[in-house]
Amino acid sequence: MKLTETAIGSIVEIIGMMSMNERVRRRLSDLCIAEGSRVSLQYALPFHGPCMIESGGQCVAIRRKEAACIEVVPI
Amino acid sequence: MNDIGLIGNPNTGKTSLFNALTRTYAYVGNWAGVTVEKKVGVLSNKRGHLTDLPGVYSLNPLSEDESVTIRYLLESTPDIMINVVDASQLARNLHLTLQLIERGSQVVIALNMMDSAKSQGIHIDIERLSQCLGVRVVPVIARSGAGCGKLLDSVSTASDSGNPAPASSPTLPDYGPILEAAVQSLTDALPGGVRDARWKALQFFEGNRLAAQALAQHVPEDFLQSLHRRTEAAIHAKTGIPSCEAWIRLRRSEAIDRCLQASVRCEQRAPVSMSQRLDRIFTHKWLGIPIFLCLMYLTFKLTFEWLGVYLSDALDALIQGPFAEGLERLLAYADASNFIRALIVDGILSGVGGVIVFVPQIFILFFIISLIEDSGYMARIATVMDRLLEGVGLNGKAFIPMIIGFGCNVPGVMAARTIEQPKERLLTILLTPLMSCSARLTVYSLFAFAFFPSHQAAIVLSLYVIGVVLALVLAKLFSATLAGSEPSLFVVELPPYRVPQGKTLLRSTWEKGKGFMKKAGTFILAGSVVIWLLSYTGPGGIGVDIDRSFLQKLGQMLTPLFEPLGFGNWQSVCALITGFFAKEVVVSTMNILYVAPTEAGLRETLTHFFTPLQAYSFMLFTLIYVPCMATVAVIRKETGSARWTWFAVCYALAAAYLLSWLIYQIGSRIG
Repeated sequence: MKLTETAIGSIVEIIGMMSMNERVRRRLSDLCIAEGSRVSLQYALPFHGPCMIESGGQCVAIRRKEAACIEVVPI
Repeated sequence: MNDIGLIGNPNTGKTSLFNALTRTYAYVGNWAGVTVEKKVGVLSNKRGHLTDLPGVYSLNPLSEDESVTIRYLLESTPDIMINVVDASQLARNLHLTLQLIERGSQVVIALNMMDSAKSQGIHIDIERLSQCLGVRVVPVIARSGAGCGKLLDSVSTASDSGNPAPASSPTLPDYGPILEAAVQSLTDALPGGVRDARWKALQFFEGNRLAAQALAQHVPEDFLQSLHRRTEAAIHAKTGIPSCEAWIRLRRSEAIDRCLQASVRCEQRAPVSMSQRLDRIFTHKWLGIPIFLCLMYLTFKLTFEWLGVYLSDALDALIQGPFAEGLERLLAYADASNFIRALIVDGILSGVGGVIVFVPQIFILFFIISLIEDSGYMARIATVMDRLLEGVGLNGKAFIPMIIGFGCNVPGVMAARTIEQPKERLLTILLTPLMSCSARLTVYSLFAFAFFPSHQAAIVLSLYVIGVVLALVLAKLFSATLAGSEPSLFVVELPPYRVPQGKTLLRSTWEKGKGFMKKAGTFILAGSVVIWLLSYTGPGGIGVDIDRSFLQKLGQMLTPLFEPLGFGNWQSVCALITGFFAKEVVVSTMNILYVAPTEAGLRETLTHFFTPLQAYSFMLFTLIYVPCMATVAVIRKETGSARWTWFAVCYALAAAYLLSWLIYQIGSRIG
């Protein structure tokens, strides 16, 4: 399942994000969002705007297409 | 004196801590070779110099200003590093801490935001954490200054003890036989005397290109590359992890987890935090952008109508009243010649005084920009604007330099450094000058009050909006035609909202506004003298009527060019020419040339020379026509290219001419 397909606010675990843009992946892993992290989708802005994701009490905004590269499983 | 570096993740309260630990600056300027601001402060106990380093998440840089911090660690030898750590985000923050300890630095941890950690139900056993890491840990609340005294004591004891850095910290990870062997063979290959060899080697395996460059000075590059390749292949074969970088990160995470298990206890967190609640409003699906625009409108209302104009008028009355009278009396007492008296009263007092009266408005604007920066709202603005900016080939982060550009274009252009992607950074640099800076505000204040007294805020806001819209349109145009096509990207951390703290807010407002005061004392002063001299002298000699002066001749030559735009009088043409030095000089020049030293007097005079439509056309031209000298210099430095600098100047002139022409021609047809 992709992160963008999960219900708003439900906590899921990342299992893959290799298809994502390299720099975005680096920055996310700087923020400790990588394979194995637990994240939740907080909201998505209209017109395919950015998504805000939450992980361990911190929030990050990324674009929808990058969020769609994050493979997750429910826990 | 000790040299102390202040390092930490972005948004951990580094600036607040810097302000709390220092009283005065020892040095404010730029890092060598780059225009990232370098601030060095004197510790309040006067026992060392504190260098503020740009915030980084790890030592492997992605953007230009991050590489400043890494260069500092590679090239300097600070006695002690103060590492600011956000207590509510320990797991993430300690990645950087471990890299600092690996370097062999003496590290003192300033554990900030204990209060917000506590409210999130995170309990930290400071003693245990300190033992696990093998470094001193001092809890602080940087915003109130609590704990800073103890932090300074710790720094002093650490430096007095003169101990070399701890050889090993119990938490430092072992990177496993393959990587450790590779690190060993790399450090063996290095000549003796290379500092921090193991740390540099680890950074190199993590993919840090600056560390690789540093090592390449000592060992051949192909040796480095093949070692990296072999190690990565071996790690992949054994563990299935695709890169050295991921492996190192994993080992560090495991070490941090062990450390935190021993020292941190987490309770169930409160379900919805205050920040999340605020985010539901400020980043609301549909209301996000309207709310932002409303806030900007309120900003202008406050700056121009509610508060700023009264302060400005009071200051104007003070300068033109008691101050001018005192000055006249002093000049009479000193028996000054007519020339000197004219120079001081008609030249300097008109020119500099005419600009100084706008200080209150400029400080209000800078105060609000600081408020947006410190409260955490800036990152939200970037997020809500991202979709729009993506459409024109930029990303939401480009909006941050633009908002800073509302204060002054120079730091705005510099702030483009945080944009990771080179093409987007270039576009942002080129377009930030279209953001109407506080200097241009002086022109609007003057004209809007003179011609549109009841709609000042709306008129000024319209100019700001035209600047932004033009920037967006040109971004679309330039990104489609000029710059190459690289994929656009956007990641921004949304820090929790914080109530900005008074001292930090005032200090950063002052830092920004100071530049304006300095300009008044230098550029504007010198400009006023030159303009006055050119208006006082003419082909007929000294002390001629202003209509027969050199300046009039110069302005007259160019006047026909500006006739179609609606302001074909030589005074305003001269004001635009001198405005290149600093946009405030436009107002100074007008004060001198229209022989109207007071702001009120100048307003009155202007109504004889302009119609409201012509005034609007003039304001619009002033907004766009050319970045000021300081901005041009910083564009040159930031782009590193004379071609792009010329481009920035020329497209602005062309756009200004075209738009003013359109507005004036269409406006006068409609009537």
